[in-house]
Amino acid sequence: MAAALVAVLYPLPFQQSGYIYYETVGFLVLLTAMLGIGWNVIGGWAGQFDFGPNIFFATGAYTAALLAIHFEWNAWLGLLGGMAVSVVICAAVTYPITRLRGHYFAIATVAMWMIAQPIGATWELINGSRGLFIPVSPSETLLEGMLTMQFPGRGKGLGFYYLALIVFVLTLLGARAVERSKWGFYFRAVRDDQDGAEGIGIDSRLYKVVARCVMAAVFAAGGVLYSFWALAVFPDQVLEVNWNILPMMAAVVGGLGRLWGPVVGAIILIPISQLMTATLGAGPLAGRGIDLIIYGTIIMVIAGGRPNGLLSLPWARWAGRLAGRGPGEPARG
Amino acid sequence: MTLLLQAVADGLQMGLLYALVAVGLTIIWGLMEMSNFAHGEFMMLGMFGAWGLSVSLGWDPLITMVPLAVVMYGAGVLVYRLLMQRVQRGEIFTQIFATVGLFFFVQNGVVAIFTSDYRFIHQSLLTGLSGANLTLGPVRIGVPLLVGGLIALAVFLALYLLIDRTDFGLALQATSEDRDAAMLVGIRPQRMYAVAWGLGTALVAVAGVILVNFFAVYPQAGLSFTVLAYAIVALGGFGSILGTLMAALVVGVVQSVTAAYLPPAFKDAFVFASYILIGLFRPRGLFGRF
Repeated sequence: MAAALVAVLYPLPFQQSGYIYYETVGFLVLLTAMLGIGWNVIGGWAGQFDFGPNIFFATGAYTAALLAIHFEWNAWLGLLGGMAVSVVICAAVTYPITRLRGHYFAIATVAMWMIAQPIGATWELINGSRGLFIPVSPSETLLEGMLTMQFPGRGKGLGFYYLALIVFVLTLLGARAVERSKWGFYFRAVRDDQDGAEGIGIDSRLYKVVARCVMAAVFAAGGVLYSFWALAVFPDQVLEVNWNILPMMAAVVGGLGRLWGPVVGAIILIPISQLMTATLGAGPLAGRGIDLIIYGTIIMVIAGGRPNGLLSLPWARWAGRLAGRGPGEPARG
Repeated sequence: MTLLLQAVADGLQMGLLYALVAVGLTIIWGLMEMSNFAHGEFMMLGMFGAWGLSVSLGWDPLITMVPLAVVMYGAGVLVYRLLMQRVQRGEIFTQIFATVGLFFFVQNGVVAIFTSDYRFIHQSLLTGLSGANLTLGPVRIGVPLLVGGLIALAVFLALYLLIDRTDFGLALQATSEDRDAAMLVGIRPQRMYAVAWGLGTALVAVAGVILVNFFAVYPQAGLSFTVLAYAIVALGGFGSILGTLMAALVVGVVQSVTAAYLPPAFKDAFVFASYILIGLFRPRGLFGRF
């Protein structure tokens, strides 16, 4: 309850005082958190390492932009359209590779990302590397903006924060419904013991596809939000590696396979990387990927520290220590 | 027709270089069954090493091959001892994740030191030959690439003899087939894994040193070579050294022929698509041992 209140009230003081930058940080936290929830479905529950989810982010962004440019579709309809197109593409390209397991699957997802890059840079329909520009038509009021995703000047940060909050909450509710449904149990059965799951009649290939399509839908929605925020879609921006690594990092730092894990992870990570961007700003180390070095180190420490079981920072142990109960859970080697 | 023949000839020469890029992964992934998303990053480190020594000390890249191979061997052993040894018996997922972390760490470490600028080597023995051509009927063969390919082939054959004909190679293969049985006959598996990581890393770095004569040096050079290497190892039948060579030649030719007839941006796309297809239809690879 308190968390919800904080989330709703968060941008208001900044809107008052004019520090709109912090509203953008909030927007990025929510966007990363929802993408992390999406990645958690394939990575955490279904146990498949997807290193190229940004192709669905790009698909969503491009679909909504094309619909807005050529057919003047409303942004929310574009969002649904982008999700639908992403899910269809995801199902078509994922079903073949579900025969592959472990590293084989992971590399296939990288291969798809690598194939998407030249397509994004050369396809005439989406204007190649020249990119697409979404027609600007600022709305009169904030409320009207919530319906069109186009806000009057100063309201943009605030508007996109609440847009992202709405989509984030819907994603969270959707993911919770999936977690408790038949699908959620099937995903985890496939992760824990694929052969065993097949033995009791779960079609592991089908449910890997379903899990990746759920993720694709979430990434597409995120891509649409991003494209209307940036008002443009460029292939190297929507296919950037950050849209792969940040959701994955958020899920793992907060606790893989936990519903709220990516949310916790995003709240920790995004301010850190924004802070680094801000402090390194004009210095000699600006734009040198320092945040990615730190992410890489965190990944290696987490993986090396607990190679068995689901990846996470040792939240349980830390919480236990804070409560004075000593280590809650011994680290397994 | 001449275009096709020329493309095939170019592709075969590139294939020899790709074989050396991929064979390190054949050892780590194919033989030892560990994942390594940072494979191409070690190649990139080799390229930067050769570039750095060439710019600062004026050494020719071909001379830097030996010291860089030794250093990168040590780096590979270190990566195994500090990181991979811990995750080796854990979940596959964790193993992939660990090497993805390594990938980000290495790539951006280099970005932090050298920035993402493109760099080239201007003077080296091989680039000095750049005007020289051999003419074979309608096909012209550039001497620099040919020499680079032949050096790669020589290293490759030495590795083949090492793995296939020596006691050490047999111990490596024994560990790959049955770790516990290997222990029973006195082989220390962890030492074998460490050596495999050292060898794999040194080999791909040497490939980078040769490639530095033909490609730009920049921190993001690695990932597409990682996927290329995975495709070649999968095509070559996981752990078969000669299979890797054949597969690399095939990949080189596919890439060069598609580049001749399609927009050049797509030259890798077909290779990556072939990885997916091979995984589906020939899970043991085109040249598998089984």
